Amino acid sequence: MDYARSETLAIKILVAGGFGVGKTTMVSAVSEIQPLHTEELLSDRSAAVDDTTGVEQKTTTTVALDFGRITLREGLWIYLFGTPGQDRFWFMWDELSIGALGAVVIADTRRLGEAFAAVDYFEQRKIPFVVTVNCFDGARRHSPEAVRRALALPAHVPVVLSDVRDRESVKEILLTLVRHAREHAPSLTAMP
Amino acid sequence: MGADEDPGPLVRMYVVTGGRARPIGEAFDVVAVVTTLGMPYEQAGLSPEHLTVLRMCVRPATVADIGVYLRLPLNIIRVLLSDLRREGLVSIDRPAVSAAAMNERIYQEVLNGLRAL
Repeated sequence: MDYARSETLAIKILVAGGFGVGKTTMVSAVSEIQPLHTEELLSDRSAAVDDTTGVEQKTTTTVALDFGRITLREGLWIYLFGTPGQDRFWFMWDELSIGALGAVVIADTRRLGEAFAAVDYFEQRKIPFVVTVNCFDGARRHSPEAVRRALALPAHVPVVLSDVRDRESVKEILLTLVRHAREHAPSLTAMP
Repeated sequence: MGADEDPGPLVRMYVVTGGRARPIGEAFDVVAVVTTLGMPYEQAGLSPEHLTVLRMCVRPATVADIGVYLRLPLNIIRVLLSDLRREGLVSIDRPAVSAAAMNERIYQEVLNGLRAL
């Protein structure tokens, strides 16, 4: 009954970025299932966050969690999770990032602040990440180096220009992330 | 704050868990793999959702997949799964193994798999 266990692995990749930056679009470009939009129920953790009205509220806040799946073979899956980048949702990152292979930060050059926060988050937790700049139609093109400077990214962090609607482009982002994680994953250096 | 604001879905979700918001026992990850170990001799005490999970996880599935299938939030799924685990009806992989479980062979398999998509 246990024969498949060592071969069964679900890999988590996080997709970070501000509202409307293209997280769901990116997930849907490669997911074999419709990007799922589930709601995570918050219990008392949300009480402090939403306390604007004075109305008693404990268990009724929800937050959307988008995710998609790529089956590489029977028993080997990649799950992509996109969650909101705003501060108030970071407790969700805390849970999702445990054991994650890495993260993709989608940067919108008009709103680099949200990317800043995500970059900080992953750097502090030593989670391998890549930054991608979504160059959708009509968006100004930015050189990867300009984005690197603007976000004060270390030299080893890959910056990829992309079109997150395009499957091949998203595949390239993921390939870049997996290669980067292979070289920089803390777990590998910890386990010779 | 409207009294007629629809509280329906949330209320129904908690009915599924008997009002419980937290799973019992060791925490498990959103991509932990769940496998059905056996069907119960008698189904008293199990909800339709419990039974659906048991039927589904004859083929191992992740917590996230179960949430999609049942169209329920992950917190609710976790409560249901923790019930089934307590009864010895499912196994749930230990949490948070994915990064630590990676080795060169799996990295290569992932890269090849992505290229072939």
